Amino acid sequence: MQIEIDEISKTFGVTAALTPVSLSIPSGALVALLGPSGSGKTTLLRILGGLEFATSGRVLFDGQDATGLTVQERRAGFVFQSYALFRHMTVFDNIAYGLNARPRAQRPPKAEIARRVTKLLDLIQLPDIGSRFPSQLSGGQRQRVALARALAIEPRMLLLDEPFGALDAKVRKELRQGLRDIHDTTGLTTVFVTHDQDEAMELADLVVVMSMGKIEQIGRPQDIRAKPASAFVKDFIGG
Amino acid sequence: MRPILHRSPIPGLGLSAGITITMLSLVVLLPIGALLLKGASVGFGTLWTEINTARIWTSLWLSFRLSFYAAVFNLVFGVTLAWVLARYSFPGRRIIDAAVDLPFALPTAVAGIALTALYAPNGAFGALAKEMGFKIAYTPLGIFIALVFVGLPFVTRTVQPVIDEIDREVEEASATLGANRLHTLRHVILPMLAPAALTGFALSLARAVGEYGSVIFIAGNLPMKTEIAPLLIVIKLEEFNYAGATAIGIAMLVISFLMLLLINAVQVWSRRRIGYV
Amino acid sequence: MSDTPNIRFRPVTTEPALVQGLVISGVIAVLAVLLFAPLIAVFYEALSKGWFAAVASLADKESLAAIRLTLTVALVSVPLNAVFGVAAAWLITKYDFRGKAFLITLIDLPFSVSPVVAGLCIVLTFGANTVVGGWLVDAGYPIVFALPGIILASMFVTFPFVARELIPVMIEQGRAEEEAALTLGASGWRVFFTVTLPNIRWALLYGVLLCNARAMGEFGAVAVVSGKIRGQTATMPITIEMLYNEYLSVAAFTLAGVLALLAFVTLGLKTFLEIRHADALAATRRH
Repeated sequence: MQIEIDEISKTFGVTAALTPVSLSIPSGALVALLGPSGSGKTTLLRILGGLEFATSGRVLFDGQDATGLTVQERRAGFVFQSYALFRHMTVFDNIAYGLNARPRAQRPPKAEIARRVTKLLDLIQLPDIGSRFPSQLSGGQRQRVALARALAIEPRMLLLDEPFGALDAKVRKELRQGLRDIHDTTGLTTVFVTHDQDEAMELADLVVVMSMGKIEQIGRPQDIRAKPASAFVKDFIGG
Repeated sequence: MRPILHRSPIPGLGLSAGITITMLSLVVLLPIGALLLKGASVGFGTLWTEINTARIWTSLWLSFRLSFYAAVFNLVFGVTLAWVLARYSFPGRRIIDAAVDLPFALPTAVAGIALTALYAPNGAFGALAKEMGFKIAYTPLGIFIALVFVGLPFVTRTVQPVIDEIDREVEEASATLGANRLHTLRHVILPMLAPAALTGFALSLARAVGEYGSVIFIAGNLPMKTEIAPLLIVIKLEEFNYAGATAIGIAMLVISFLMLLLINAVQVWSRRRIGYV
Repeated sequence: MSDTPNIRFRPVTTEPALVQGLVISGVIAVLAVLLFAPLIAVFYEALSKGWFAAVASLADKESLAAIRLTLTVALVSVPLNAVFGVAAAWLITKYDFRGKAFLITLIDLPFSVSPVVAGLCIVLTFGANTVVGGWLVDAGYPIVFALPGIILASMFVTFPFVARELIPVMIEQGRAEEEAALTLGASGWRVFFTVTLPNIRWALLYGVLLCNARAMGEFGAVAVVSGKIRGQTATMPITIEMLYNEYLSVAAFTLAGVLALLAFVTLGLKTFLEIRHADALAATRRH
């Protein structure tokens, strides 16, 4: 799905989190929103997901105005920084949650839900953990379960907030490839937020460098590295 | 095997252990031991004949039944109140928050006569009920109200900190997966609050079963009708029937222990299931 | 720039305003009937014959004796329980030993024992017809139907309060500061007074307040052990009961009003402490 961000701004009280920003994300791209904390990258991601509402501007999905869609209507697969797994549910129930939450008429039958959950567990390469609780998983396993849970609703796009932020360096490297693989398999338009320029440069097709609520530069990793558009970008990616 | 005591560089072990054990023994363990000793010396047979009367069974059943109803009311109301206090902002929220603890701070006898003044047939609410054709004070309904009053804060105070600790991202995750708010509340929030709410429920139940001061004024204390179990202990003591008092006392102590076990079981269960309480 | 004010939205983690309004109104209505109305009733009944009658009833000899007795009981039992609470919290939080959970359960025991059963236990321990009690009565120190029994009963029912407030706070603060002070050469008492006590003083004060409120207001346990001798062993709550049963409504409710004011002060101070020293008090608490 193609995403169009049209002059989106967001103010919290008197502070501006986003001065009007515009951005066009081609269908099927893997995009990184890169910037230091307070740059507005998470706010932008949450606006895409319908968790936060823009003060002004529009969001278009495949050319259709999606600004007024509620979070439930957007069907964005969202992976949270803390993963936000439901700790009183098994991994299986976590992944099945979105399907079970559908109105009865649209809810798949039990066997179909089970089949899909099993398929997703295979996709994240953790086929045997369905009956465990989140507290019994490692950080990396939790992240992958969160990803599977987001994929279960057959999302129109995948949004990830610092998906590797809570992991140690070794696991982080492995999971980067995991995300790349899942993106390539599903073909979903994917946007992830990170403050780690290595991560953005290595993983993304398109990197959006942000600072102080503004977009500093949009480009392919190699282009940004070759031609930083501002002193800030040069400094930030050079670090 | 774990050592009984790990060595610690911090001084004061002897003193603090001495004070703790001496006072605990003198104030709590010795008296409770005396009750059990008295029970043993009276003998199980006598205890059983003392307790096995219609009047005592009726009162124990009344105490437990009404305490259970009151605790159920407090469970539902307490969770709602905790949610309101933790999540909604409205004028007077702080005052309400402070007032929730009133039943902890207000002497039970004061609560007792105040509730009676209100709910007796000549009181403000009692008169209203009388017009509608029913009585509150001097009936089980009056006892129920007094027990709701004394147990009011328990669930709210155990659940409120748990609500404060809920990660908002969990609620957001539920929404992004397509769940509406009601679904999120039922399937995500309530299960997270359940262990704390059940602990509060058990505390409120335990308190209600043993409650005396706030109940005896409003109860009317009619044998076989509105006579609670603690009152029977007082009556037995006034008749110098120590065996009878001991029998009821031990029965109530057993109920208290069962309740403590229940609370611990709930906590162990939720810790195992969810990782922590 | 296209402006689309998104008035249709509310944050996804809240309920619709209408639902909130209804729930808040419902909760306040229940509290009004269950909590606030009884409180108003106390003062309404106390002042039903005017201020003068209320104040005059307080000046009665029996009422004055009851107030004096209640103050005496609190003055003895609260400091003793405070000392116990500090010692128990120190023992539980500064050392690791087996059976700690069991010790905590024992300390909490009075919370789940009916006050009447507590009173019964004391009567069975120290009553005139027991070995110890008989001996003490002969020696001229009766416990049951006398001041020591009332103090003991008050201590029993308020026993866990201070420890309960202190333990979570002291667990959270850990042992590092005490250990640092020791390495700097401070003695044990010095560490306690200059490091530990300043850290726990608000929680301690809060525990003492609750303990005091309960001690002054205890009814069931005291009713059993005091013998209810007018002017001698009748505490304020016991006197309230006697006055009430004699249909001396103004006097009963005036005395009740005094205790209700004490409850207000307790809750007021508690709220004040929570606002001012939120971090120094435990995040989770039960009573």
